[in-house]
Amino acid sequence: MGQIEFQNVTKLYGETPAVRDLTLTVHEGEFVVLVGPSGCGKTTALRMVAGLEEITDGEIRIGERVVNDLPPRQRDIAMVFQNYALYPHKSVYDNLAFGLRMRKIAKGEQRRRVEEIARVLGIEDLLARKPAQLSGGQRQRVAMGRAIVREPQAFLMDEPLSNLDAKLRVQMRAEIARIQQTLGVTTLYVTHDQVEAMTMGHRVAVMRGGILQQVDAPQRLYHAPRNLFVASFVGSPAMNLLEGEVVRTNGGVSCKLGQAELELPAGGSPVERYAGRRVAVGIRPEELSEAGADARARLTGRVLLVESLGAESLAHLELSATPLDRPELADLAAPSAPLLGEATATVRARLAADTRVRPGDIVDLAVDPRKLYFFDLDSGEAIRAAESAVPTAVAG
Amino acid sequence: MAAVESELAVSSRRRPRWSRHRIARGVAPYALLAPATIAIGAVLAYPLYLLVRLSFERYGLFELIRHKGVWIGAANYTRILHDGQFWHVVLRTLAFTAVNVSLTMVLGTAIALLLVQLNSFMRMLLTAGLVFVWATPVVVAVDIWRWMVDSEFGVANWTLTKLHFGNFTHHDWFVNPWSGFAVITALVVWGAIPFVTITVFAGLSQVPDELLEAARIDGARPFAVFREITLPLLKPIFVILASLSIIWDFQVFNQVWIMLDQRPSSDYFLMSIYSFFESFRISEYGLGSAIAVVMVLIMLVVTSFYVRQMVKAGEVR
Amino acid sequence: MSATPIAPTPVSPTTAHLVGRRRSARKRRAGRVGINALALLVFVVMVFPVYWMVSTAFKTGPDIFGYTPTWFPIHATFANFGDAIHRQYFWRDVANSLIVVVAVVIISLVLALLAALALAKFRFYGRRAFIVLIIAVQMIPLNALIIPLYIALSRAHEVNKLSGVIITYLTFVLPFTIWTLRGFIIGVPKDLEEAAMVDGATRFGAFVRILLPLVGPGLVATSIFAFIQAWNEYIIAYVFLSSPTKQTLTVWLASFTTNRGTAWGPLMAAATLTSLPVVVFFVLVQRKIAFGLTAGAVRG
Repeated sequence: MGQIEFQNVTKLYGETPAVRDLTLTVHEGEFVVLVGPSGCGKTTALRMVAGLEEITDGEIRIGERVVNDLPPRQRDIAMVFQNYALYPHKSVYDNLAFGLRMRKIAKGEQRRRVEEIARVLGIEDLLARKPAQLSGGQRQRVAMGRAIVREPQAFLMDEPLSNLDAKLRVQMRAEIARIQQTLGVTTLYVTHDQVEAMTMGHRVAVMRGGILQQVDAPQRLYHAPRNLFVASFVGSPAMNLLEGEVVRTNGGVSCKLGQAELELPAGGSPVERYAGRRVAVGIRPEELSEAGADARARLTGRVLLVESLGAESLAHLELSATPLDRPELADLAAPSAPLLGEATATVRARLAADTRVRPGDIVDLAVDPRKLYFFDLDSGEAIRAAESAVPTAVAG
Repeated sequence: MAAVESELAVSSRRRPRWSRHRIARGVAPYALLAPATIAIGAVLAYPLYLLVRLSFERYGLFELIRHKGVWIGAANYTRILHDGQFWHVVLRTLAFTAVNVSLTMVLGTAIALLLVQLNSFMRMLLTAGLVFVWATPVVVAVDIWRWMVDSEFGVANWTLTKLHFGNFTHHDWFVNPWSGFAVITALVVWGAIPFVTITVFAGLSQVPDELLEAARIDGARPFAVFREITLPLLKPIFVILASLSIIWDFQVFNQVWIMLDQRPSSDYFLMSIYSFFESFRISEYGLGSAIAVVMVLIMLVVTSFYVRQMVKAGEVR
Repeated sequence: MSATPIAPTPVSPTTAHLVGRRRSARKRRAGRVGINALALLVFVVMVFPVYWMVSTAFKTGPDIFGYTPTWFPIHATFANFGDAIHRQYFWRDVANSLIVVVAVVIISLVLALLAALALAKFRFYGRRAFIVLIIAVQMIPLNALIIPLYIALSRAHEVNKLSGVIITYLTFVLPFTIWTLRGFIIGVPKDLEEAAMVDGATRFGAFVRILLPLVGPGLVATSIFAFIQAWNEYIIAYVFLSSPTKQTLTVWLASFTTNRGTAWGPLMAAATLTSLPVVVFFVLVQRKIAFGLTAGAVRG
């Protein structure tokens, strides 16, 4: 019905590809978030669905129709823009009713729909005002209202929360998710904020450089990232990434990170194939804790900084291990500069709020070797068992 | 105590209220404005007053030599208001203005819309062409058109005959005032289009793309987008342009004067020509002044819209 | 064995994929051609008179006075230009035009800058009145004032003198230049001057070192505007300057028409020469003027 389907969609600007061979399906009623750093092609993909950009190659279907050659007004979609794009010279009522007027809907029906949506969004007192007289949050609601009132087959949202202040953003996130839930309209949502993506979407599609990296439910992205980029992009604070070496031991394999050697669980770990080679190792900050006396797998580091976040603390520590230097990561964060001339890496650990750790302390961190992520150093792909689950990157 | 500049009358025991410094600051703007005001006032205020006074006087050659006019009250006004020719001239000028302004605005806007659609090379080319037209001095432009419609060797006659619009050989365009004004209108509109086009184009570029995209998604066809979104946003510009066009076209003088070899027949009188003629040809300066005053009054009414719009824009700060 | 790559290798699309899309692409291209053709037509129609002037200026007599027009001057000649330049009073009138124009530009720039500063930087009584004044002044028909101006100037014995013309031109140039300069001054953020003053400059020093250079483009634009207005002006020069030694170029152009007819070749050459300075300067400034007029008009 109202599903959106990308089939091998490519967009070229001259010679430069903005979107490469994108295949993705947003099922009816589903809320899919397109997320990635700036320039990854997510907005271009959205605009191609809207009909605001030409499709160089491939097909886009809305419902069952191929829409490649249809102008925007014939696609039965509604869009919420980042800057709201409210008509400044029209009242809120006229803004909401505009789309209905263009479709020649009867005046009485226009009024009914507009007033109902206004009530649902809490803006019924603002109908006579002009956009310039509204606050940012109110404008955002009007922009949403304009989309909802049209009762389209699908919603397209282009970073609608980017212009709001932090608190309002959190509030509106929940509200948008709630509205989508209630209306059950297929929604394609674009953002660069991975927190938004993770909290709002049924599924999240991570893009980089015009290429779809992985599309999955948020939890699977978190627990089973397919490559280094997804691993470092998803999760806040970001996953710690280091270079390590896989060593064969008499029981199985262990991973050397600088001085530390962490024994990996026995029994056919896919990492065994990499014995004797270097790999990329990922540790989530929440998997690091202050080591008790009995912790076997430990990393030792010097505390650089402790950020107090109220419910927890975030400690930045310096480990004598090799940091990972990959182009994907340059997109996301400044590389950690080695302070001492030898290879050191800065890792972040989420500690308890009442931790006694102070800058300058030498601290042991406990790490669960089963919670380590491993990636191939050449390709950046996650190291998985040969017969691992069916890739879910393709049209779900 | 550091001598911090302060606009408030603070610490009056430390500093006299009427210090030299504060007086200087208060006087500064007026001092800055004075030279310009004097210049404008001298050349404008006095002649303006003189114009009004002249309109109530008889001022012919005799009075010109004596540098003094004879007060005759409103006699000049009654004379022109009862003169059929005066009313013909007023009507002609109003009609002329209406036609010119409409054509200029419509064609100018149409070309601006065309410019938006072009790729950058064609746009540069067309804009360059418009700039050349705009830069041509009016007197030069009139001479060019005069040459183009020349009855013997003008290119217009030859082309029209070639295109089978009729036999235009030796056709004198100015025998019939209707065809004469057609040429003058073409000339005026031709010269006026670039300004309108370039200004409207600048305005169009300021309409945010997002609004147009939102309208397209909302279901509006191209013309509806223009009518519902672009036009209302461009309204202030259109008001300004229309007002300026009315002001300028109402005062057209050079084109008619030079086109007709400085000897226009009375069929070609526009108000500016009529006023000039009465004064400098017939030496009835008083009468000419009265006509000019009527012109100014009509203009004032028409331009009150323009002034209001500009003041509104200027007061935004 | 290594893991299968998830991200597909980038495909470089060939046009073979676009078969189904071809019909609409062709329609789109036809639309492109149509629009470009229209633009070309408009260009030709608008520019033709200017082209005609320049080409006639280079034509020989027979080419000009033939019953079939010569579209392109194959036998180009400079004779007409020579004729025009060697006419009596040409160089004299060029000098007159230059004197008038330079005087108007310099004086109007100084006066307008002072006035614009007052309007932009100070709040004072009568500010709004002055703004209304300079807008309203532009409304007054020039032609209406010719009569009293002539009379007033003749009483002051300023007729047939360049100074009378200069003063008159000032009045009509000042309102626009004041308004435009004010716009430019307002456009310079206050922060810059305040930073300069914190750094130790006096108010006047901040003005000279910071504001003036930034308003530079505005000064250039307005001076060019004043130049163009003064250079092109006709009727005032025509009325006030009766002797040929005092006239400006625009009036001089009229001398090509006698009761024996008009010397079209030399006239077109003369017209071309007269237009040259204006065209050059105009190209430099036109974008700024239109922008200045519309900046803020849509959003503001």
